[in-house]
Amino acid sequence: MHIERYEKLWIYAFVIMLAVFVAALMAGAILFNVRVPGSAGLINPANLDETAFANPGIHDMGDGNYEVYMVARMWSFQPSEIVVPEGAHVTFYVTSADVTHGFIIEHHNANLEVLPGVIGVTNTTFNTPGTFKLQCHEYCGRGHQMMHIDIIVEETEVALAANEE
Amino acid sequence: MQSVKPALQSTENDGRAFPLLSTIASEKWFIGAHIFVALAALSIGILLGPYQAFRRAPAFLLQIDLPVFSYYYQALTAHGVLNALVFTTFFIMGSSYFVVQRSLQRPLKSMQAAWVAFWLMTVGLLMAAFAIITGQASVLYTFYPPMQAEWTFYLGLALVIVGTWVGLADVFATYFDWRKEHPGQKVPLAVYAILCNFAMWFTASLGVAIEVLFMLLPMSLGLIDTTDVQVARILFWFFGHPLVYFWLIPAYVSWYTMMPKQLGVRLFSDTMGRVVFLMLMIFSIPIGVHHLYVDPGVSEAAKFMHALLTFVVAAPSLLTIFNLAATLERSGRKRGATGLLDWMWKQPWGNPVIVSQFGGMILFIFGGITGIMNASFNLNVALHNTTWVVGHFHTTVGGAVFMTYIGMLYWMLPMLRGRKLFWRWAATLQAYLWLGGMLIFGGSMGRAGLEGAIRRTDLAGQGAYISDAVAPWLNMSAFAGFLLLISAVLLYVVVIGTLFFSKEESENVAPLATEGPKDEYAPGIFEKWNLWVVVIIGSNIVMWLPVLLSAVDLVNGFWAVGNPGAAR
Ligand code: HEM
Ligand SMILES: [Cu+2]
Repeated sequence: MHIERYEKLWIYAFVIMLAVFVAALMAGAILFNVRVPGSAGLINPANLDETAFANPGIHDMGDGNYEVYMVARMWSFQPSEIVVPEGAHVTFYVTSADVTHGFIIEHHNANLEVLPGVIGVTNTTFNTPGTFKLQCHEYCGRGHQMMHIDIIVEETEVALAANEE
Repeated sequence: MQSVKPALQSTENDGRAFPLLSTIASEKWFIGAHIFVALAALSIGILLGPYQAFRRAPAFLLQIDLPVFSYYYQALTAHGVLNALVFTTFFIMGSSYFVVQRSLQRPLKSMQAAWVAFWLMTVGLLMAAFAIITGQASVLYTFYPPMQAEWTFYLGLALVIVGTWVGLADVFATYFDWRKEHPGQKVPLAVYAILCNFAMWFTASLGVAIEVLFMLLPMSLGLIDTTDVQVARILFWFFGHPLVYFWLIPAYVSWYTMMPKQLGVRLFSDTMGRVVFLMLMIFSIPIGVHHLYVDPGVSEAAKFMHALLTFVVAAPSLLTIFNLAATLERSGRKRGATGLLDWMWKQPWGNPVIVSQFGGMILFIFGGITGIMNASFNLNVALHNTTWVVGHFHTTVGGAVFMTYIGMLYWMLPMLRGRKLFWRWAATLQAYLWLGGMLIFGGSMGRAGLEGAIRRTDLAGQGAYISDAVAPWLNMSAFAGFLLLISAVLLYVVVIGTLFFSKEESENVAPLATEGPKDEYAPGIFEKWNLWVVVIIGSNIVMWLPVLLSAVDLVNGFWAVGNPGAAR
């Protein structure tokens, strides 16, 4: 098959470019641990009461680590507000009690589709104090736009003290 | 050549390598019917776009009460279904028949079958449209379960797909007849591309057909009360990614085979064109998991494998850039360009057929770049379901594909109608407005998405949240919506004008078959369909079976999870 010289050069160039892109995303995944969410298993959406999702909320695991069990249903999240200290590293376990919902936190790399029957897991670190919205980003019926809660990241006393100095 | 169909033995052929329009049986009404339905669906779908953009902009927050569409998500469903599913599919079938008949210089094998296909699709469309309009199918164009629509919606979509199967079988039959009569000759590039497109579409649509027929339809009929939502999403995206290439390939057909003729030059490389379409056919299906990067029920390994292959499918588009740039250089040189880059400007910038396609290409540069970003695995976490994605696909399907189809329309319609394009200047203006509008729309939606604005959300609805950071960008997208609205109106002025008010006769010239230099070889490996069928089946088993197995609830079975309240 005949390929023009300049076209060949173009092909080499873009193969290298694509290889660099792939290398970059692998570096991100391996070196910086920027990963895509995985599954924490299946669950029966009708029986959430018999599982860890019976009491949605935040659990302090020590050392600045937190776990949040969260249930999405038309059209609210439980818990309906989350307060964490600055620097908190939070792992979210999320599932749906009814239809498909979404999960995204403003300015943080936390993004999930929330499906009934599957437990989604993702984690993120809250380094800046402030209020960040956690929103449902998958259409889930008429009231979909109402599905958002606040994540309040509080300045810790250590940080406050440091600021005053 | 042993037998020539009577319809083609035209005395008016006066030595030209293609038959005149009138010699191809009922082309006018047959192709015209497809284009008519496509444009009718689009006329509603397209107007809902500005409505959404206005409604989502804090500076407007228009609480317009639309007739028929009583609430936002119902309108959004119609916008997605009518524009992205109906307009595209009808236009693709119609224009593909047109290209195949003219390039192979023979009518379709069975005109009856092709009309059956048309009516199946049309009845399907009416059923789905009925369900949407009556508010019984506000499930958006991705119809993820367990949310349910009325059964007419699913059955309607299934009929549309079955209709395309009948039509594409007819096209393949036509091709095989031609093949028998032309041993050792390669099929014209345009037809090759269309065959690749249909082969890919058929394979892909099996996924959504299974989802609809075995999961969604039985559920909406009440035959089963639960279904596996993750499996449904996997089946949908087995179809969903190739779907976007199903839209794109006809635009490529226009760029590769019609545009050179319209510009009066030859395509740079016919062979590399074939490589491109072959690659698109093979690589557009086994990469669909890149739409499921944040789905909880698909393993990270599967996501990564599909991410890698997604980068391979960028290759045909990158090859296309070179081939088309080299072709456009010829066009520029022909128009007096002598410098290194001045051929870029020496193009017919006042010809709506060309400008509309150029506009599509320019938008596709942005669509391609943003697409690679979306596909970049972990980067997707920052972008998934934000308005960034809306920006992306309005430069692809709403940009490259849409503008190129309109360019094709401006070229085909005068031929079918026998009258010159009405108000050429308006058509040109329409193209520039769409290009400008979509650049602004894409840019502002993209920026809003990076600031955290989410898509598929009624931002004027009760209890909605809009942050200060996203507000200006949403306002800007509404401004773009205004430009696009004017453009859309102009489009219909030109179409209706051409159909009913244009007086001058058009010349009927549509030579479509492009060939490369004469010494290029023939059918060779490209038309070894047995081989490619094996490759397609094999690669998809390797790439999709693990995804399905990782998701399916093996203990409780296919139907087990998903529906609230269903005992397990
Ligand atoms: C008049 C020009 C248009 C404007 C102003 C416009 C505007 C919009 C907006 C604002 C959205 C996002 C709504 C939301 O996420 O809540 C949207 C969604 C969409 N648009 Fe357009 N659009 C236009 C034309 C088109 C065209 C021509 C096509 C395809 C041929 C198209 C295909 C889509 C699709 C597939 C969606 C996604 C629907 C969904 O999320 O379910 N649009 N459009
Ligand atoms: Cu929701």
